[in-house]
Amino acid sequence: MMLSIKNLKAQVEGKEIIKGLDLQVGPGEVHAIMGPNGSGKSTLAHILAGRDGYDVTDGEILFEGRSLIGLAPEERASRGIFLAFQYPVELPGVNNTHFLKEALNAQRKARGEPELDSVAFLKLIREKLAMVSMSPELLKRPVNAGFSGGEKKRNEILQMALLEPRLAILDETDSGLDIDALKTVSDGVNALRSPDRSVILVTHYQRLLDYIQPDFVHVLAGGRIVRSGDKGLAKELEAKGYGWLSGQDEAA
Amino acid sequence: MSSDTQTRHDVQEILRLGQQRMARVMPDTDWQSATRKRGTAGVATMARPDRKQEAWRYTPLGFLDQAEFQPIVEGPFDALQLSDIDDLMLTDPPRIRLVFVNGYLASGLCAMAKSADGVTLSSLAGGLGEVPAMLRQQLDAIAEHNHVFAALNSALMSDGALIHLAAGVHLDGPIEILHVSVGLEQPGICHPRHLIVLEDGARAEVIERYCGLGDGAYFTNALIEVSLGSDSELLHQRMQEESPHAQHLSDLQVQLGARSLYRLTLAALGGAWSRNDVRVTFGGEGATAELDGLMLARDRQFNDVHLDVRHEVPHCTSRETFKGILDGSGRVVFDGHIVVARDAQKTDAVLSNRNLMLARSAEVDTKPQLEIYADDVKCSHGTTVGELDPDMLFYLRSRGIPADQAKQMLCQGFAQEVFDTMASQALRARAGQLLASRLLTSTPEQGER
Repeated sequence: MMLSIKNLKAQVEGKEIIKGLDLQVGPGEVHAIMGPNGSGKSTLAHILAGRDGYDVTDGEILFEGRSLIGLAPEERASRGIFLAFQYPVELPGVNNTHFLKEALNAQRKARGEPELDSVAFLKLIREKLAMVSMSPELLKRPVNAGFSGGEKKRNEILQMALLEPRLAILDETDSGLDIDALKTVSDGVNALRSPDRSVILVTHYQRLLDYIQPDFVHVLAGGRIVRSGDKGLAKELEAKGYGWLSGQDEAA
Repeated sequence: MSSDTQTRHDVQEILRLGQQRMARVMPDTDWQSATRKRGTAGVATMARPDRKQEAWRYTPLGFLDQAEFQPIVEGPFDALQLSDIDDLMLTDPPRIRLVFVNGYLASGLCAMAKSADGVTLSSLAGGLGEVPAMLRQQLDAIAEHNHVFAALNSALMSDGALIHLAAGVHLDGPIEILHVSVGLEQPGICHPRHLIVLEDGARAEVIERYCGLGDGAYFTNALIEVSLGSDSELLHQRMQEESPHAQHLSDLQVQLGARSLYRLTLAALGGAWSRNDVRVTFGGEGATAELDGLMLARDRQFNDVHLDVRHEVPHCTSRETFKGILDGSGRVVFDGHIVVARDAQKTDAVLSNRNLMLARSAEVDTKPQLEIYADDVKCSHGTTVGELDPDMLFYLRSRGIPADQAKQMLCQGFAQEVFDTMASQALRARAGQLLASRLLTSTPEQGER
């Protein structure tokens, strides 16, 4: 199993957000996690990436058989976990190329692999740029600073393509994207699909799943996975809304 | 108070020793005597600043009590060779370079590529030949003695670069003024005095650097006069990279003609104690001043910038963007004073001071002051003091970059926005490297999460 989450419970500022969550993700699988706002989708994504301020109070998270709990974000990244942010952070003054190179080399170093020199790196990043149809001009700018919404998301996928994670978690990557950008981003993700790479798509809408076909769809509500199925479940959700599933929100 | 007489005595003593030594070694030249007299009179009437004076309230001067600064009149500095200052050279050294060692021109280290007609380079002590009349007349034309150290500089000015561009002359490539200070047995004090004059429509780029060779203790007390004619343009890039045991005081006084453009980037990175006073006076309509600065205060470092921007005529624009990075017990003082006179309608001024605190034990005193007497102006100011943004840190770490390196990159990025305003790529690179190496040797922050 690539990722195995059992009975996970987690708090943010003393409030329990994840309330006994189970999820199994096998190698090469694409899982979509859907759910209403406030259901804990993004919290789950951030817990997996190791963000400060989320306290795991119970349960376990095994990644390739080893526990993630207590590991620093950079250690998780080096082991192959990648989070594509819903709101990629702007880093004024930090050059994008420099950032990408430092990130790749930090991971290579942590894994005991040789670091890439500037020439080898530039060659590599040019290949990856083409994959996400991103302008090379964006490499010369500070990370995400002044990027449009679409450019920021492409920059996330570029990082994913460069860092070649084992498990990619895409947090609402579709939000704020027009159809063209959505298609490019999806193409980038699809190009990275492989038998030994898994993907978790966190999304509110079914739209993204037209472009990236998931193997499994889960509905997260009230801090638990309340229903799992194949991509047909996503269609059903689109037709009926979330209300009929949550058991707490009978409004629909 | 007894401490007053004691402290006043310190500066008087520096003056007395300096004059004594100067009389022996360097006979006064007539054309400088008026300036020296004015300086001497100033020192006699001004006390050492103390906390009661607003402009010195947060500037500790205790170091004056702990060292007896000896005058440096001349030394065996000719022995210094280019290979000795290799590490201080820019990767792409300007073709015109005036090097001063412990305050005195070192001809052997200078580079004097043939410059365009209408460019005059000279030096105060005559090392580059007799000083032309137009430079003699301009010396001390705009300098104010706002504190005793400025007066002390006028009284004891040792040597310095005198640069004159005739009307309409555009200088190709920068002129570098490079100060190298070598620690002596006794801590010395020198008083560099520079003058930059651009006549109407002239354009130039000047790089001014203060470096320590080794980690000696010394006191640099510089005064720089800049006079820009109408429609002239000066890119002025200053870098303070003094030894970690040095005191550095620079008093920069700038007079702007109509429609002139003055762009200053100040990177104050070194020294144990550093103070930069910058006075910019708008003397003609339509002029622009863009002032950017970075102050680094690592553990036990003190770094102070005082701005005094005087909008005295209408239709002028000024931008003041200063940043501080503090660590350990470092202290930054920023005093940004902008005065808009009654007649200075349509003034456009934006002042900002942002500070990045890497440790809770650091201290910043920031005081933006807009003093506005005109009624049709656009002026604003903003200051912030903050720690590294946890969202930014997490973003970097989630990409595999270890926490310490992530902090480093963010500090570097914070400073880079200032360095990017430097025209010289070589200087930008040096500023970045210096900052990185100084941040790396910083004491690690306590209470890391």
